[in-house]
Amino acid sequence: MAIVRFSGVNKSFRSTSVVSDLNLELPDGSFTVLVGPSGCGKSTSLRMLAGLESVTSGTITIGDRDVTNLQPRDRDVAMVFQNYALYPHLSVRENIAFPLRASKEPRANALKRADEVAESLGLAKLLDRKPKALSGGQQQRVAIGRAIIREPSVFLFDEPLSNLDAKLRVETRTELLQIQRRLGITCLYVTHDQEEAMTLSDRMVVMRDGRAAQVGTPIEVFNSPVDTFVAAFVGSPKMNLIAGELSGETCTLPSGFALTVGRVKASGAVTLGVRPDDLVPTVADDADAMVKLVELLGPRAIVTVDARGTDLTCVVEAARLSGITEGTRVALSARPGAVHVFDAKTGQRFVGTDRENYNTDGNESRS
Amino acid sequence: MKNSRTLTIFRVALLWAAGISVLFPVVWIALASVKTPEQLNDPFLFSFAPTLDGWRNVLSSGILAAAGRSAIVAVTTVGISVVVGSMGAYAIARYRAGGTATRFGMLAAQVLPPAVLVFPFLTMAYALRLNDTLVPVIFAHLSFVLPVVTWFLIGFFEAVPRSLEEQAQVDGFTRFQAFRLVVLPQVFPGMGAAAIFGFTLSWNDLFYGLILAPGKAAILPVAIAGFNTFRGVQIGSMSAAILIAVVPVVVASFFIQRRLVQGISGGAVKF
Repeated sequence: MAIVRFSGVNKSFRSTSVVSDLNLELPDGSFTVLVGPSGCGKSTSLRMLAGLESVTSGTITIGDRDVTNLQPRDRDVAMVFQNYALYPHLSVRENIAFPLRASKEPRANALKRADEVAESLGLAKLLDRKPKALSGGQQQRVAIGRAIIREPSVFLFDEPLSNLDAKLRVETRTELLQIQRRLGITCLYVTHDQEEAMTLSDRMVVMRDGRAAQVGTPIEVFNSPVDTFVAAFVGSPKMNLIAGELSGETCTLPSGFALTVGRVKASGAVTLGVRPDDLVPTVADDADAMVKLVELLGPRAIVTVDARGTDLTCVVEAARLSGITEGTRVALSARPGAVHVFDAKTGQRFVGTDRENYNTDGNESRS
Repeated sequence: MKNSRTLTIFRVALLWAAGISVLFPVVWIALASVKTPEQLNDPFLFSFAPTLDGWRNVLSSGILAAAGRSAIVAVTTVGISVVVGSMGAYAIARYRAGGTATRFGMLAAQVLPPAVLVFPFLTMAYALRLNDTLVPVIFAHLSFVLPVVTWFLIGFFEAVPRSLEEQAQVDGFTRFQAFRLVVLPQVFPGMGAAAIFGFTLSWNDLFYGLILAPGKAAILPVAIAGFNTFRGVQIGSMSAAILIAVVPVVVASFFIQRRLVQGISGGAVKF
């Protein structure tokens, strides 16, 4: 258990910069998720903390130890890889006990501890099997067992759930969170799946092109994305980002389509962000937007509306769907106070335009 | 239906033809080893009273000692090759050590006629007063067994996921421990095959032994060649000696045939 700090960390391969000026603090016992599209440097950051990649400049500390130039074995971290990296020639018991061999733990002790860990993960019946005789979910647990047996300072997870099927992924996610809460070990978790990041993290770090675009609690990031990139990346379905001219309570698109947005403390050319849940279609025969597609998801439906050539996405409660079918003409309005306003050129969030119910300053949560 | 039957007959016939052409020399040698010199003049003679003269002659000629020396040479060569070769193959597979040039250039010794290499070996052996001992033979055999073993193992090492050794490093082991405890066990089958393959290469080699240790330290192929005397070839005794030499190779090939294909294709296909 320890505080982990990245201070001005850079990583380049030859002349290509992969991670630049990463400053990050993982509070003791926190669960931090690095999330971003592929190639954004999230895995590289994790591997630098593990010691599997060298750091070009900057320092990484775990607790009060500077680990920047230490070998992986001296860092006291445990890692779960995407492919689990179980040792194929060892049984489940030996796999879990393997890290204790490094610390010269007597064999009998090590195996006994492995049995206990396996018991706590529900692997007791599989102890003598080889990894290839296990299902994906079981392999995953073995990998977690091997990570927790040593009670490391930091847990590292590199997309550990992406090889599981959807149902198992959700179950394992919950379980992972319970284990982390129980052990209270600082966690750094890498994923490309924003939903996973939202549900798992105490703090999420959205990365883009080797930089931390935004750091904050999932709710901060969701409610006050610092720029259009974060806004589009976090949340599903994706936030509608509309270029338009804001004046009064209306945003006018270049096509002439007018969207009612409520009172907003900004005007002029902007990029307007509206989450699909906050965009309400109302049936109106004289409106100039038309429902293009309705995708029913059970309790909700995703409605794609063609607003004079611009496709906008709305999420509508199934109960309010009556009358809305493909081809229906609808008027669109954003829920008052629910719009995000970004600079049309830079994509940065305009300060002071946050949702009223979560009044967080976008600038402060950026690092 | 009729078509496929013709095809089947053709296939079986082909297999028999192949089988006979491979086995015929062995059968002929087996028969020759129990014939008298007079009977040997009639190659179509299949029923005769067998004699063990050839075998007695061979066994009293020190062939077993020669086989023992061959075994020492082959085992030492293979032992060194597997230890050194596995480390080399690992470095080439993981780090592209030496680039493409090394990877394919290391088989250059196979392309050169052995005659090019044997004289340097002989002069060095003379200078060190090691001629007609097993030492230069072992070194000469290393010159072709080690590259083949290394090359053979590259494909096996490439098949081991990198994350496996990274995991071992994070789990608290040094790089060498990760190699020894985690990577090596994954390639054990390949190493076994490489060892047996290397053993047969060394065991079958006549040329280097003949030049570097022709006398009291003669290895098995040299001893077999010794039955070609100034009074003519002693076919009976030679056949018996050949059978002694062939048995280990046949047994070995039986055990490694599948890995052999895997090793050769694994090394050849992946660039």
